[in-house]
Amino acid sequence: MLHYLLMCRSLTYAQRASRALERIGITAIITKAPKSATGQGCSYCVKVSEKNLTRSIATLNTAGLGPTRIFLVLDDGSVQEVS
Amino acid sequence: MIYLDCAATSLQKPREVPYAVSHAMTTMASPGRGCHKPAMMAADCVLNCRIMLASYFNVSEPENVIFTLNATHGLNIAINSLVSENDKVVISGYEHNSVTRPLKALNADVLIARSRLFDQKATVEAFRQALPGAKCAVCTHVSNAFGFILPIREIAELCRDLQVPLIIDASQSAGTLPLDFSKLGAQFIAMPGHKGLLGPQGTGVLLCGGKSKPLIFGGTGSNSAENLMPDFLPDRLEAGTHNVAGVAGLMQGVKFIMSKPEGAIFRHEKSLCRAFAEKIYTIPGLKLFFDETMKSQSGVLSIMSERLSSDVIAERLGKADICVRAGLHCTPTAHETVGTIEEGTVRFSFSPFNTFSEIDYTASTLKNVLNKL
Repeated sequence: MLHYLLMCRSLTYAQRASRALERIGITAIITKAPKSATGQGCSYCVKVSEKNLTRSIATLNTAGLGPTRIFLVLDDGSVQEVS
Repeated sequence: MIYLDCAATSLQKPREVPYAVSHAMTTMASPGRGCHKPAMMAADCVLNCRIMLASYFNVSEPENVIFTLNATHGLNIAINSLVSENDKVVISGYEHNSVTRPLKALNADVLIARSRLFDQKATVEAFRQALPGAKCAVCTHVSNAFGFILPIREIAELCRDLQVPLIIDASQSAGTLPLDFSKLGAQFIAMPGHKGLLGPQGTGVLLCGGKSKPLIFGGTGSNSAENLMPDFLPDRLEAGTHNVAGVAGLMQGVKFIMSKPEGAIFRHEKSLCRAFAEKIYTIPGLKLFFDETMKSQSGVLSIMSERLSSDVIAERLGKADICVRAGLHCTPTAHETVGTIEEGTVRFSFSPFNTFSEIDYTASTLKNVLNKL
């Protein structure tokens, strides 16, 4: 199953994003963002499955917690930004 | 022991507070320093407390709730964010050194809007006259020495009308009096966690409504490759490891307060204050700083005696296991305003856990102390 990383401004945002998604039944795991994805050092994101991606983004945007960037997690663990 | 020094630190806490501190110390690490379980437990604890405080003080976003070491730390952040050298800053005549010293250090042009004790109308008028042209205003909600409740809503309204950013020192009111951050429209409200919020020492909260400047620089667990502090809250103002155990305890203190009917704690403390004043006002040579209407006084009562110095009264009460504070209470400004700068006062400050029998005993002990002369 494909997963996506929704990048958040901070850990606090990632926590709030995760809680907002969990509230509507979407599993959203907080993880440290890979440095290759951020270029800024430590950052946090929430990981969601492909089937929940669209609903997750819509929910977060409505809550004012929209992701700053979105990455697809590839099979080898590397990430690729999606537009 | 009877503890009546809650304006400095509340000693009696809900039993959940020390339990939460201990639990956090043994199970939690640091937020933003990894995604392992102890780090995420700490992150959850800190966010939960932020959300609770945001709800209690009506702050739109939990990110705008900043954890500090104490109110002084928060006031320093707020003042340093808004004030530069030679800026005109208006303060009330009841400010603590945690306001006046940072302003002095910045070499600000401080204008004191003095007003008579317990006179709310005069306080509003003093601010009305002083505010035009000010870069910023700082006002305590309640005088720590005299329990005078300043008319903060009216002062905030004046500041909004004149577009003067307002910093509120809620050290003596947070947890006791209603504080609506959004309605007041203040730029910052600073408060300790260890007084009316019933949390542990070493905790404080700063509510932020506008641009802020970090006072301490360092690791935040975010944007680590950058040499600059993040431009987003709360990270911008929270460098270094959080006092997670303190925050865990603070959350239990706030939970206790929120479980009480609105205004119940304030009414209880005020009733204790009035009962105490009524028992001691006949003592010869004793001056009470007391608002007989009780409209503008919280649960803090200052007294002074013609016959015995404030320090000696406090010392003798201390020997009888009654804990009060004497002196200037770190607020020479308030004592200059009231005219008690030479001697200071003896301050009795009450908490939700004090009882009327404690008040009876304290009043009779005070009578004995003063009658023995």
